[in-house]
Amino acid sequence: MSLIQAENLTKVYGTGDTAVVALDHVKLTVNPGEFIAVMGPSGCGKSTLLHLLGGLDRPSDGDVSIDGQPLAKMSDNAISQLRRRKIGFVFQFFNLIPILSSVENASLPLLLDGANSAKAKQKATEWLTKVGLEHRLASRPDQLSAGQQQRVAIARALITDPVLVLADEPTGNLDTKSADEIAGLLKQVAKTWGRAVLMVTHDPRIAAYADRIVFLKDGRIVNETYLGRDGNGAGDLEGHEAGQTRTVSQ
Amino acid sequence: MSVRHAVLGLLAQRPRHGYELRAAFQALVGGEANWDVKPAQIYTTLARLEQGGLVVEDSVEQDTGPEKRIYALTTPGRQALQEWFANGIEPEHQHDEFFLKLMIGLVSGVADPYRLIHTQRMHLYQELHDLTEHRSQADPGRELANILLFDKTIMHVEADIRWLDMIEGRLDEIRRQPLPEPEVKPRGRPRKIWNLSG
Repeated sequence: MSLIQAENLTKVYGTGDTAVVALDHVKLTVNPGEFIAVMGPSGCGKSTLLHLLGGLDRPSDGDVSIDGQPLAKMSDNAISQLRRRKIGFVFQFFNLIPILSSVENASLPLLLDGANSAKAKQKATEWLTKVGLEHRLASRPDQLSAGQQQRVAIARALITDPVLVLADEPTGNLDTKSADEIAGLLKQVAKTWGRAVLMVTHDPRIAAYADRIVFLKDGRIVNETYLGRDGNGAGDLEGHEAGQTRTVSQ
Repeated sequence: MSVRHAVLGLLAQRPRHGYELRAAFQALVGGEANWDVKPAQIYTTLARLEQGGLVVEDSVEQDTGPEKRIYALTTPGRQALQEWFANGIEPEHQHDEFFLKLMIGLVSGVADPYRLIHTQRMHLYQELHDLTEHRSQADPGRELANILLFDKTIMHVEADIRWLDMIEGRLDEIRRQPLPEPEVKPRGRPRKIWNLSG
């Protein structure tokens, strides 16, 4: 069973003559341990796709299932809870709280879910150490480099032990070296820590870290290509060989 | 090419024999896999440099094996090296085989140009994936030369992908223009114009 299943996913903004079809009956599957990049020109629907997969918005048609649970049948509260516990988010501009330390920032999702602060602090320290920030636990964002801030954001995304990590242009604000490090870290999130990772990016070099690249255009998937030959926990890639491409006409 | 200048530069560090020069060169450029220079090329280069007065035989190392000639830089050799350092290097422009393929596709009419671009793009993404994988496995503490070369190749592949996007965007325009045809020049002797009127 796939971790993330999107069927006929559609989002239309506006009505009548001014209606904009941001996403047009998209079908997508993501498995545990898979690292997927979504690419496409501005306005192709990639951010909309990310928002729908993360339960941040409801589709106009079609549905998303996360870990077997279809979102369409869930109330807003239930979706919020699912989002808190099963999904981690990483954004382009890090979105850290400026007055909080690394540990405090990383703890937030657990605290918001009602965990006690000692447990949250312990988990935050654990994850910050795993992403290489054991010497920066007490630092505030303004004392960290851009790359380090994004690492805090990734630790924060992982603290609730989510099954899915969604990243929206995670390297958009980083220099080349940090961008490569963060892309490598996201790959580790999938390969070593077994989460499904879906990353929206416009940078081909960063997209190439993924196992699979999905190309969107005008709200539809126009291409998909499998990269590499990962033998370690890539999940069920449905027997696809590296370099295989399918052109999708919907 | 630049092997002769590399030899001059290595000799500026200290006099060496041919075997040592080749080993030093390979080490600097990140190994044989990156840039293979055959021993013959080093010895030919040394011979030419000696002929041109840029290097001289300094001494002959004698140990149990065959004699090894040691070469050293001359003053003109040092000057030639300085000139190389002082001037820019011409970027290499290789013939672009994909460009050729696209043009042939358009001329022959047997290939879908969009399909050609798509196939090339997917191939480039796979290249990019493999390159970044290899690069991430190189040790920055010991293999910096390799990493720098990987970075260059990666950037070139990125540029190729951008170029493909550009072509794809303008393919309709390209197809509307007449294809380049060779100029037909008249051949042979000019034909005589017979005056039949008288």
